[in-house]
Amino acid sequence: MIRPLAGTARIGLRFQFAYRSDVIMSAVALIAQVFLLRMVWTSVYGERQEAQGMTLEALLAYLTLANLQAFAINPIIPRIAHFRIRTGTVFFDLIHPAGYLPQMAAFQTGHTAAGLLLMTPAIPVVLLVGSITVPAQPFGYVATLVLGYAIAVMIALLIAMIGFWMMETGAISLLYRLTSQFFAGTMVPLSFFPGWLKTLAQALPFQYIGYVPAAVYVGRIQGGDVLRAVLVEMAWIAALAAVLWMVWRRAHRRVVINGG
Amino acid sequence: MAEILRTFRLYWRLQRATARGAMQYRLNAVISVLTGVVYQGAGFAFVWVVMSTFPSMDGWTLEEIAFLYGLRLTAHAMSMMPLSALIGLGWMVREGELDRVLLRPLNPLVQLMTKRMGVGQIGDLLTGVVLLVVAAPSWTPGKVAFCLLALVGGALVEASVFVAMSSLSLRMMDTFAIRVFVDDVFSRFGSYPMSVFGGVAQWVLTFVLPVAFVAYIPAGVLLDKTGSLNVPPAVAYLGPLLGVAMFAVAYRIWQSQLKHYHSVGS
Repeated sequence: MIRPLAGTARIGLRFQFAYRSDVIMSAVALIAQVFLLRMVWTSVYGERQEAQGMTLEALLAYLTLANLQAFAINPIIPRIAHFRIRTGTVFFDLIHPAGYLPQMAAFQTGHTAAGLLLMTPAIPVVLLVGSITVPAQPFGYVATLVLGYAIAVMIALLIAMIGFWMMETGAISLLYRLTSQFFAGTMVPLSFFPGWLKTLAQALPFQYIGYVPAAVYVGRIQGGDVLRAVLVEMAWIAALAAVLWMVWRRAHRRVVINGG
Repeated sequence: MAEILRTFRLYWRLQRATARGAMQYRLNAVISVLTGVVYQGAGFAFVWVVMSTFPSMDGWTLEEIAFLYGLRLTAHAMSMMPLSALIGLGWMVREGELDRVLLRPLNPLVQLMTKRMGVGQIGDLLTGVVLLVVAAPSWTPGKVAFCLLALVGGALVEASVFVAMSSLSLRMMDTFAIRVFVDDVFSRFGSYPMSVFGGVAQWVLTFVLPVAFVAYIPAGVLLDKTGSLNVPPAVAYLGPLLGVAMFAVAYRIWQSQLKHYHSVGS
């Protein structure tokens, strides 16, 4: 069970390395984005020391971190799954003993690992263009981030499974990326969202991909609230696992193998 | 002169045919347009959320930035709707498809432009026009005229950079990465008051890659903020001419690169 999955993860890793020029291009875009955010936020803060409980210094560290996270987590599953369904190669994934969903998750993990390796040279530049502080709560940060990553992968699996019902999923993937990035708070921390939008963002799971870990890192979320965030994340993982299981039971019966 | 009129007439006809072609895939077209609207809407949502806490960004209110945003999006859509077919130029050169274009008795650039229509940019156009109308300052005939000139000028600035870079594909240079980067700079930084980015970046975005002339400088004129710009008011008022001059240069670059085109011969 573990060996074949490690193999799939390795393929994900190689896949990312094969497209390293894409990674370099998105690293340049990431640097431009962090620079833009730094300048815009510094400008609106002006003389103010603090807004919504965050100093400018903490905010800039938050933004730098949240964007690095979003860059590293970037889900590949919907794209790969869609490609393999369209070309019929999904057949090989389905007869594989390790199971379809674990394979996709393993592929994503390998892909993320390679992304982390490739982005290492860019990190100092990003930190220089943006800004960083020492972690206020290193353990809380790692815990919320790892659980948040699991949530991100599970949602990506759900999006990928839409491909079993619809042949064209490009627009849905793009919409998902836009909404999830916005509600993850990669450009604006959730604490700055106005009334109803904040309520909506706090009800959605996307905050655990960006806002929650980064806010724990800079100390915007502290003490008991960190523990609560971890528990809520675990609840989300359990709920998403149940949904995934139910959707998968229907999805694999609908599968159409193209080609021959 | 007759030649130019004929080219325009044929451009119009071919463009209509391409539009009809795009409309055959109606659902796909609707989804592309909607995606464009959501994409640009999400970009503006950032400004809106930030400015729900802070009243001003370097002296610009939310409404003023919305106007600037609309100006840039509209100019962007105006330049990319006719030009988006050039994105596939590198592929056409590699496959020898360009030979066919060169054999026909019509300006190659016009033929390439009318190969496909940028449906996704209709979404940009819709979002841009809505922002432009909703956030507009009180219009006077003079301002309306300047706004139209500024949109054409801004569209030409972006179009010139795009055409000049695309023409390098005629010489088999892979410009994909640099094109993506420049396009990214235009759309990422073009919709903000340039003074936000600080001296060096503002200078580069004004005088090296003239992103500032697409929307920031004309918006400064239309919103009576010429005092806060980093160019003298006279330059700001004459700004739309820059697009015309740049496009003339870009077209000459295109022509000279085309003259050096060698077919792959397959």
